[in-house]
Order: sequence, then C-alpha cells, then structure tokens
Amino acid sequence: MRPETKAYNFDWMLWRTLDLACNAMTGTEKELKIVMRHIPYFKDILDVFLAYGEPGKIFLKLVYEYMDNIMTAHEKGKKICGTTFCFSPAILYAMDTVPVTLELVTVLINSLWKRGIGEFSDFCYEAGLTETSCSSQRGALGAYLAGLGETFDFIVADTPGVCDTNANAFAFASAYLNKPAFALTFPDRLTGDDVDNYHQKDYRRMIDFLEEQTGNRLDTDRLREVLQEIKKQDEILAELEELQRAVPSPLPVTYNFFIYAGRFFFAGKPLLTELLLSMRDIAVTNMQEERCGLPSGKENTRALFCYIDHYTTNLALWSWLEERGITHMGNILSRFWADNTPYNQNRSNAYNIDSTNLDTMIDSLAAQNSRMPMVKSIRGPYDAPGMWLEDTLSLAQMYRADCIIYSGTPGCRNTWGMVKLLARDTEEAGFPTHIMYSDSFDERVESWEATSARLDEFFAVRGLL
Amino acid sequence: MTEIFIEASKKIYNSSVEQWTKDGKPVVGYTCSHLPAEVLHAAGVLPLRLRGMEVSGLEIGDSYFGPFICTMPRCLLQMAGTGKFDFLEGAIVTPGCDSMRRLDECWRKAGKDMEGTLPSFFAYFDVPHKETDYAHDWFKKEVLSLAGLLKKHFVTEDIIGKLPASIELYNHSRKLIKELQQFRKKNDCRITGYDALAVSVASTSMPREVFNSELEKLLSKLKNAAPVKEKGKPRLLVTGSATDDIQIIGLMEDSGALVAAEKICFGHFKTIGTIEGNSLESVAAAYLDGTECPRMFGKYEERRDSILALIEESDIDGVILQNIRFCDLHGSDNGLLEADLRKKGIPSLRIEREYGPLVERERLKMRIDAFIESIRGNLS
Amino acid sequence: MSITAGCDVGSLTAKAVIMEKGRILASAVIRSRARPEEASREVMDLALKEAALSINELEGITRTGYGRGRMPFEGKEISEITCHGRGARWLLPSVKTLIDIGGQDCKAIKLKSDGSIDRFITNDKCASGTGRFLDVMAKVLGVPVEDLATCSERADHPVTFSSSCAVWAQADVIRLLNEGHGVDDIGAGINNAMAARVAVLLNSIGLDGDICITGGVAKNLGVAKALETQLGCRVKKIRKADPQLAGAIGAALLAEERLK
Repeated sequence: MRPETKAYNFDWMLWRTLDLACNAMTGTEKELKIVMRHIPYFKDILDVFLAYGEPGKIFLKLVYEYMDNIMTAHEKGKKICGTTFCFSPAILYAMDTVPVTLELVTVLINSLWKRGIGEFSDFCYEAGLTETSCSSQRGALGAYLAGLGETFDFIVADTPGVCDTNANAFAFASAYLNKPAFALTFPDRLTGDDVDNYHQKDYRRMIDFLEEQTGNRLDTDRLREVLQEIKKQDEILAELEELQRAVPSPLPVTYNFFIYAGRFFFAGKPLLTELLLSMRDIAVTNMQEERCGLPSGKENTRALFCYIDHYTTNLALWSWLEERGITHMGNILSRFWADNTPYNQNRSNAYNIDSTNLDTMIDSLAAQNSRMPMVKSIRGPYDAPGMWLEDTLSLAQMYRADCIIYSGTPGCRNTWGMVKLLARDTEEAGFPTHIMYSDSFDERVESWEATSARLDEFFAVRGLL
Repeated sequence: MTEIFIEASKKIYNSSVEQWTKDGKPVVGYTCSHLPAEVLHAAGVLPLRLRGMEVSGLEIGDSYFGPFICTMPRCLLQMAGTGKFDFLEGAIVTPGCDSMRRLDECWRKAGKDMEGTLPSFFAYFDVPHKETDYAHDWFKKEVLSLAGLLKKHFVTEDIIGKLPASIELYNHSRKLIKELQQFRKKNDCRITGYDALAVSVASTSMPREVFNSELEKLLSKLKNAAPVKEKGKPRLLVTGSATDDIQIIGLMEDSGALVAAEKICFGHFKTIGTIEGNSLESVAAAYLDGTECPRMFGKYEERRDSILALIEESDIDGVILQNIRFCDLHGSDNGLLEADLRKKGIPSLRIEREYGPLVERERLKMRIDAFIESIRGNLS
Repeated sequence: MSITAGCDVGSLTAKAVIMEKGRILASAVIRSRARPEEASREVMDLALKEAALSINELEGITRTGYGRGRMPFEGKEISEITCHGRGARWLLPSVKTLIDIGGQDCKAIKLKSDGSIDRFITNDKCASGTGRFLDVMAKVLGVPVEDLATCSERADHPVTFSSSCAVWAQADVIRLLNEGHGVDDIGAGINNAMAARVAVLLNSIGLDGDICITGGVAKNLGVAKALETQLGCRVKKIRKADPQLAGAIGAALLAEERLK
C-alpha cells in the first residue's frame, strides 16, 4: 500500500467526502460549482445523483448517514458489526448495533476513490487471504485488515452453504483480527417445515450471540418498530416492482441500485422508506404520463441482470445503459421475496412479517433473512425449485426482458460452477444471454473499455439495439 | 509391499474394484469425506471416493464449468465424460465446497448431452457447515434419507441390520491407519510418505475388507522392515487441499525430504475416532463432530492447534501448505497458518497447484527444492 | 586456484559466470533456447572462452534455473531461489529483501543474516509481474523492451492501466495509442503496472532491511523507481555487476563454498 494511502483512515475520508457531497446538494449553484472543482474523481457520480432529483439526494443522505453511524458508533457507546450484504441489517438496528457491510463499502471505495479498491484488495493478499477470493469483500476488507478503519467489535455472516468465498472472507477476518464471529448457515433447500425449523433455531442462536456481544437484550418494541417499517418498505417495493413490468419501464435505471443498496444499508429505517416513496411517486408520475424512466424517454430494449451489476469507474454501467436506451429489469440483488411481491408465484418461497409477539417476529426475520439475495437462490443446485434458474426465467418472463446479462466476479465459485448451464437454459428459453468475464468490483481484471466493447458487440450481434 | 495400494491410488478402476464389479456388486462414487461410507457399505455397495488423476485433457470439464474454478470437479467431470466412471452404478455429490457441489448440476447436464455419462443412481447429500444441535439433527435426517434412497435403488433389505458390522469394519480401518503412523517416527521411519499416502488414498478406493486385510499384512511386514534412509532429510508435513496425487509426495521425497505426516482429507484429515454405537444416528454424529475441514465455519483455531500437535508428535521440520488454484478455503487457511507457524518458528512453504496429473513438475520442484535447501541448514 | 562456475538457464535467458575466490573472471548472457542443453552449453562456452579456460579447469559447477536438470556437464543442482539469494548478498552485502523478476515468474526472497533463505514467495498466477508482461507490452507498444525504462524518464503524464492482465492490457495499449497518448506515457504506465504487481509480493513477505531487484528487469529503472513509490522506501541499485547474473553468481559462489 502506498504511504499516502495509509496516511488517513479510509472510512474517515469516505465520510468527509459524503458529508461534502450532502452539503453541496443544499448549497447554492455557485457553491456547488466550487465543490465540484475539489472532487474531480467523484464529480461525475455526484452529477448522476443530483440528476435524479429527490431520490438521488435522499440516497446520498442515506449513504452519508450510514458512514456517519460507523464513524460515531464507538463514541456513542454502540458496537460495530462487520457483516455481508447477504445479511439483513434489520436485527442489528433493532439491537442498536452499527453494521459495516463489506460489499457496500467496497462499492463506495470504487465510487469515491480514483484508484478504486486495488491497494486494499492487494493488502488482503499480503495478509494471507487468497487473491482468488471474491473482490466484493476484499476491497473493503483489505482496508480493515490494515487497520485503516473503525474496529469491528464482532462479525456476523450468513454465507456458509451459500457462498464459500464470502463465508471464508469473514472467517479469515475473524481469525486475523481476533474478533468473535457467528455465521448463520442454511440447508440446501428453501422450503419445508424442517427447513423453517432450522432457520428459526439458527436465528435464535445468533440473537444469543448478538446479546452477548452487544450487552443489549433484544427489545420487543424496538424490534416491532423495525419490522413494521420493513413491512411498509415491502409494500412500496411491491408497487415499484409492479410498475417496472410496464412497457416502457417508468423506472430510471439507477432506481434498481437505490432499491437494493438502500435495502442493504438501511432496511427498517425510516429514511429508506422516504427514499422508496420518493422513487415510487416519480415512477407513478412517469407511468401516468406514459413516460419511460430513461433520460431519452425511449426504451430500446429491456435487460435483466441475472446476478449483480458492475461497480467500477464512476459506476459507468448505468450511464452506459441510459445512453443506449436499455432499461434495467433488476438483478438478483433487487429481489427480496416478501409475500406481496408480483414476481412471487409460489407463496412458500416468500416470507411474511408477523409482529404479533417476540417469537413470531424472530421467525419472520429468520424467514426474511433466509430469502435475502443469494441466500435464497444460490444455496442449492441452480435448477432446483426456487433456485437460480427458476428465479431468472420467471423474472425474465414476467418483466418481458429482451435479454439476460450475467455480471459478476472471477471470485464467484458458484457462478463459474454453473453459469454456462444457466446461459444454455436461458438461451433455449428464448432469451439472448451474455456472460461478462469482467470483475464487477476490480477493473484491473478487465478494463471498463473492454467490458463495454463486449457488451456493445453482444447487443449489436444479437440485434437487440 | 505397497504395490496394491499404489495401484489403487493411481487407478480408480483398479484390480480390487474390477473384481467387485465382476462379482456383480454395485459401486457408488462420492465426492467428500463427510459422506458416511459405512452406510453405503451396509447397503452392499462399494463406496468409492471419486478422483480425477487419470484425465489426459479437460475439454469436457471446461465445457460445463467456467474458467475460474478449481480443477478437481473439472477433472471428475472429464472422467465421467470420457467413460472412465462407466463402472459406477451411482454417484453422490456433497457440498464439500461450492466448486464441488456444482459438479451435481454439471454432471446432470453432461448426462443429458452424452448418454450413459450419468449413473442411474445420482444423489445430492447435504452436510451442514456447523456442529450445533440443530445442525446435527439436519445431518441425521440427511443420513437417514440417504439410507432410504440406497435401500430403494439397490433393493437392499437390511441396511440397519448390517450397519453394526460395517461400523466395526471401518472402525478397524481407522485403527489400522492410526497404527501405520507409528511406523513413521523420527529415526525409525519404515515407510515413505509416498507409500503412506498411497495407503490413505487406497482406503477410499478399495473394498474395505480387502483394504483391511492388505493393510494388516503391510503392518506386519513393517514391524521387521529396515528404516528408510533419513539422514539429512527434513521431515515434512503436507496439508491443504484434497490431495490424492502420490506423485506430488514423490516429488518432495525425490527432492531430498521425507514426508512424515499429512493433514489432508484423503485419510488423515478427519479425526473420527472409533464410532461408538450401532445406529445411523451414531454414524451421523461421528461424521459431523470433530471434522477439521475449513468448510466448517469458525474452526480455524482448532485446525491450527491440531496441526501444531501433529508437527510436534511427528518431529516435523517444515510444513508444505498447498492448495489447488481457486480453492478459496484452503488458499486462505494456508495464509493464516503460514503466519501462525512463523510465530512458532516453524518453516513453511505455500504452494499453489492444479489438481490433475502432475504437469507442473518443474515449477513445483523449484519451489520445493528451495524450501528444502532453506531448512536443511536448520538440521545440522 | 579455486575456479568455479554457475550456470543459470531460465525461460528467457541463459547465464553463466566463472569466479575465482569471490571475483568474477567471466560471464555471458544469451537468449534461451527451447532445449536447455543447447542454451547451457552455448552460454558456458562463451564464458569459458572469455576466461580462456576449458571446462576441465573448473573445480566445481552449480546448475540452476528451470533447465538445471538437463545441462550437458556435471554439476550440483541447486534451486534458483537459493542461488539468487546468495548472489544478491554478494552483489549487495547489506541486502535483506530482494525481488527477482524473471521471464516467467517473480520471486520475493528474504534472507537471513548469513545470506541463506529465510522465506520466499512466488507469483504463480499469471504473466502479470514477470518479464513476460514487459516483453508483451513492449511489443504491442512498438518499443524494444530494453528501452521501456527510458519511457518513464521522458513521460509527462503516465497512464494508469486499468488492467494488469498481460492479455487484456494489450488491448488497453492499442486503445491508448489510438486515443493519442504518447508512447512514453504508455511505457511509463506499463512500468508502473509492473511495479504495482511486484510490490504486492514484496509486501506479502514483509520489507526488511535493504531491498534490491535482481534479474533482467532490474535494469529497467522505470520499474525500480515506480517500485520505490509503491513501497514508500528506497530500492538499492546493484552496481557491482549485472543484476541479471545474480543467479549464476550465487551458483558459482555456492560451488566455491562446497570446495571448502
């Protein structure tokens, strides 16, 4: 790591940058121009957020508050939990604990740092973590392993049985940093009384761990508050997901990112509800006025991303999609499988929130967590019921996708164990399918120029544009 | 005296397996040491750990798997696709790791494309990633369910009735394998690492009755065998990813070392002692308890301490921490181990390799040579 | 008289050094052949000719490099890591940590106080961080590989390479040229990308004491300077002899030590 990279804690720098960005939003135009001169590498992304109006501003505020919570946690007497995006932070908020979600922070580093995650990721290798491990954790994890961030008090993951490389990163962090860790684990199936039983017992065991680590007892009223907020958020999400089915889609491309990132950052928090409402209102207006969510107003084609998006170089994927009139039908990260979602054909695949008493609430969270992105659809064979293929095809059909794009990382063993099979099946089902061999978080693997050139080629050759 | 073990470790359809099939008895392959082989044995089936050292290409494996994945499942699929697993009547895939568990779907797909590639009995056997009470309950159910599937497919009447004898047989194997370690002591080592690993691998590749009988003969011969030449040879422990390739051990020993112990999942990785009890439940409990595999979350310290104990009891001079490329579990575990071993002043070498016939010989040899040269100075 | 030789056959170059009492009498470097027997014979003959000696007058030979098992003359085989460590200590007595950037791999080595190997780590994944990376990039850039170093001296705005992969980075070089970036700026970027990859290996092994580079790439000052920036500390230059000969020098010295 270069000496200058170690001069300041990286999370402090992210926090100050986001603070500046939020202030810029509320300043005068002149003040904004001055600010833009001082953030040459974040300028383009700030422009994007500001261009999205109210939702963009709320989202920036949400991200700032997330970092602010991390930076002020210890001084407020709260504990910090290192965790993964596959784990719903709702329980942590209910127990007054601050999450640091590695994958989200990795995306933030890529967005706000000229050199992206490279140096931090390399530090993981220096520390002993294999460099074939998924880059989504390695970006932020490297910074924390190097002691350049707020210290974790403990670690919670929920990926053994779902994603080895993810689980392994947290197991490594626990051993390296000498911090206690707990992992929720999952059977290879999603539904069934025995499966529910497993989820519920495991979740309760995790709560015991959280109570021990935080010194806080799980408070029924607090939990009810969080769950009722989630229920509200699920209702708004269901509306957004329904609106997205319209042709043309009234949802701007970046709304997908706002949805899942918002959910990973702030599930159960009122600010997320505000964000979702703001997006919903704009989408409804677009729908009523028969307006496409793209800036050009013209939808040329609809793409379903069957895994994740691409997060390097100014989050360039979104502008790339917009410039070509491609609407984004969502990805594996933007589906949460509440019982009111339009895409949920099989009710047993869903979770519902029952806030009758503490037991029902814990069971609801256990069910919700077991249906988090990846946790739901990657835990078993790709073609098993409720798993990756079924989810991808049903979404592609329901949302009338014109094509399916796989974007991921070389570190994803699940992907590379089955993506060719998935692509064969989706092609056979009539959906042109493109596999990206880039790394969604680390542009050193394949430059954005090369990645976008291949995407352009796919869309051109398959007659999609 | 180890020819039969060497043959079994090099050839999956070796003479004892061939004889088994000629006797009209079924063979079922499996992918992970967490599968309770006793249950298959009680069903009258030969449990055979699937291995891929006999491939000569990877075009079939690479057609189904993507590029950034461990070579082990790719080699297994290649074996299946080229007919080298045609003698199997069944296969059971276990989520030992993400790469290996996707062999399930890749093999099924290959089975649709190439008739005869998929055995008639094909099952997925789930193993939890922790050892809590409810994980044990889950695993017991899986084992019971497996027994049910075997009974149905192989028309076996009395798995439960035959299980005690199978447990006893496998307990005896474990006792014999432990005894073998007694012949690897410093300054009185009667068997090379090459031969010792061949025995471990052969235990997964032969009918258990034949294996036990042959190992008893070997142990009897070893009592009077002359020690192997040890002077000037550093004693090594090999740990890391699944290794059934005795040639790698041979390479280390040809380079001037003596491999005195292994901690890998062919043979010595699992520390199942004697299984007490005669039921499916006791088998399930024994297989889940005490597993040291890095797929089990949060067991690094246990694994490390177990390796340190083995280093001490086997008088180890250096540790080879090897992993198959893209094996994230062992790849990272080795990073932690290297640091912890260094704190204890124990030299180690991390090497990354591909699974399959040893084609990277020179690259590995250079590193192993350098390591042996560096620790030899410590021995004088 | 105790004249010994070391012969180091690598994937890109073959080297031979003849020494007497710790002093170099002769040396030679040639491009490797597909057959190490031919390369080793040729390079050894060149060195012997320069020293005006016959092979029978050598009292000991050490064979090293990937081709060490197939040389057509007697000698003890020792790994290139051990030889490089020994050679580096001779080239720079204060060295504790060295990086050997060869044609097909890259090795970070830490030495004990007596010059023997404490620990080492190698780059096993791909060509990134090896001499091959520079070879390939230089070819696409249209610059002799030995001139890449001067690119860094002349560059005004070195480009930052997005990709460190030797395959994808070629496409990036072409793109950058077509976008109008100068050859020097691109060449400097290549050197920086190389240094970044190498720095990771060095940091993995832990920096300790004086650091130096051996192998052919040591002569690329662009990479050396970029490495200093990455590491935040000085990388000492080897001036005593050609750093590319480190392995062969170490081999010859080890042969001499065996005589004692």
